[in-house]
Amino acid sequence: MSGTIRGRLFGPGLPGAGSDALLSWRGEYLAVTTAATQREVAASELRVDASGFNAAQTRLAWTSAEGEFVLFLDTPAREALAASAPAGLAAGLLGAARAQRQVERRFRLGWSVLGLILLLPLLALVLFVLNADSIAGSVAERIPPEHEAKLGELTLAQVRAGLKLHEDGPALRAVRDIGQRLSEGSRYRYRFFVADSPEVNAFAAPGGVVVVYTGLIRAADSAEELAGVLAHEVAHVELRHSLKAAVKGLGLRALAALALGDLSGGVAGDVAARLTDLKFSRDAETEADREGLRRLLAAGISPHGMPRFFETLAAGEGNTAVALAVLSSHPPSRERMARLRDEIGKLPPAQFTPLPIDWREVREAAR
Amino acid sequence: MAMDVVDFEIFGSEMQYVEVELDPGEAAVGEAGAMMYMQDGIQMDTVFGDGSQQGGFFGKLMGAGKRLLTGESLFTTVFHNEGQGKRRVAFAAPYPGKIVPVHLAEVGGTLIAQKDSFLAAAKGVSLGIAFQKKLGVGLFGGEGFIMQKLDGDGWAFLHAGGTLLERTLAPGELLRIDTGCVVAFQPSVDFDIQYVGKIKTALFGGEGLFFATLRGPGKVWLQSLPLSRLANRIVMAAPAAGGRSQGEGSLLGGMALGGLLGGDD
Repeated sequence: MSGTIRGRLFGPGLPGAGSDALLSWRGEYLAVTTAATQREVAASELRVDASGFNAAQTRLAWTSAEGEFVLFLDTPAREALAASAPAGLAAGLLGAARAQRQVERRFRLGWSVLGLILLLPLLALVLFVLNADSIAGSVAERIPPEHEAKLGELTLAQVRAGLKLHEDGPALRAVRDIGQRLSEGSRYRYRFFVADSPEVNAFAAPGGVVVVYTGLIRAADSAEELAGVLAHEVAHVELRHSLKAAVKGLGLRALAALALGDLSGGVAGDVAARLTDLKFSRDAETEADREGLRRLLAAGISPHGMPRFFETLAAGEGNTAVALAVLSSHPPSRERMARLRDEIGKLPPAQFTPLPIDWREVREAAR
Repeated sequence: MAMDVVDFEIFGSEMQYVEVELDPGEAAVGEAGAMMYMQDGIQMDTVFGDGSQQGGFFGKLMGAGKRLLTGESLFTTVFHNEGQGKRRVAFAAPYPGKIVPVHLAEVGGTLIAQKDSFLAAAKGVSLGIAFQKKLGVGLFGGEGFIMQKLDGDGWAFLHAGGTLLERTLAPGELLRIDTGCVVAFQPSVDFDIQYVGKIKTALFGGEGLFFATLRGPGKVWLQSLPLSRLANRIVMAAPAAGGRSQGEGSLLGGMALGGLLGGDD
């Protein structure tokens, strides 16, 4: 006989709320002792199943001359009883335990599924952020060049509204000449523009719209330096960088809105989209530098102008720019310059004919 | 753990309060905000959790967290009798209904109750949560997934809305009840749901898609008017929420005349 095993007995002659019972095995018989009575039941007469709240209790039922009796056991009591039970009943007790575990399992499964559903948008967001570049790339591949051209047209219209574009002149002619040489054999129809602005800047819109600011032309010391910048911008167009960035930004915003439950695409989603956007740009800039270099060489233009222009930019760049490097949309010029010089150094030595452009005249025109 | 033995008396008929008599040194725990009055000599002490945990800070934190899940305050108030003779403290029910005194030892030491039905108990009764692990019952049983578990062997006082039904189910006896009407039952009772059976009844019968079922043996306590139902009716009838202001007693019942004669608006 093992230690005391307690259960709760219900049946005829007992209180409706049941009464506590002590249990023990006497051979093939189960002795059930309550405060007032003692009964013995043959193990073969016992029916076992899981019952009660959550099916967390084991029910032993039997019929005697007085009527139907049921005995409820909690889990420790069931285990204690099973340890010393006759073989026939032990199997039944195991079955009850299985039924209890099944309820438990379903409960956990149900909550896991619910949790998964709640976390799904968040999961999708994480997956998208991790694979954003390749996803945006493959989506961008599916957009036909005509649509890109339309996007470029829209951007150009905006630029026209904000900036004065040169209609003619040596600066525009120089930019067009160099640009044509760099973009030869492209699937895009390139259009080059010069905008009146003191900013040292140039940008490329999807579909082959390239705009150079007069500030940049003034800052450049030779036609080769301008060619370096143009090669970089043409590379942006060819590699579809702004299209990919737009696709990625849109996707991120949509997912962030889904995950964070903010359908207006609020602050959190915006910041998330922009941060990864910048990272994309940094990688893209380096990629564009490399592709630009390749294009310069293919067009037979001296590549030395490219790092030299960055040198000029770096001279004007303070230390604060380095501190903000992570958040800047352009990698620090010094870093890019070093990388470019490195790559040019690896090239076999070659002679380049200077560009047939009167640079002094061009700079005068950009004033 | 040793329970404090308390004597009690319930007053009132539909809006009740229970008066608990404490011997010197005895204590009772009450739901925060349930105390109605206490005699001089009773000290009030607010504890984190339900006052039954003996463990350290972590045990208390767990206890308090569970209470938060069952929709009750993080704190319980313990009322000690620090006086010389017997002293009384009373706890009032928060809405119309009946107070159910349950002697936990008589029902085997454990009771499963609907969440936030707890009112007061002798110190030492522990209040835990019992997750409803049958998914269907949790979703459609009307009591949700979280229920309350009371452990101990002293008196516990629960509160039921409307009129109370206390029934003892024989082994295998089945009671089909409207969802939301369950107050408490013994753990030997099988709480389940049953589809109402006919599409027409399910859609238009007004009882919803499922009945809750309680299968014996054991004691069950049911309430005739769950607070949520009462609240729904009151909100539906409230003019501020778009309900119809009824000129009760006015023959014409029109707004102008009814308002004039009724005088109270």
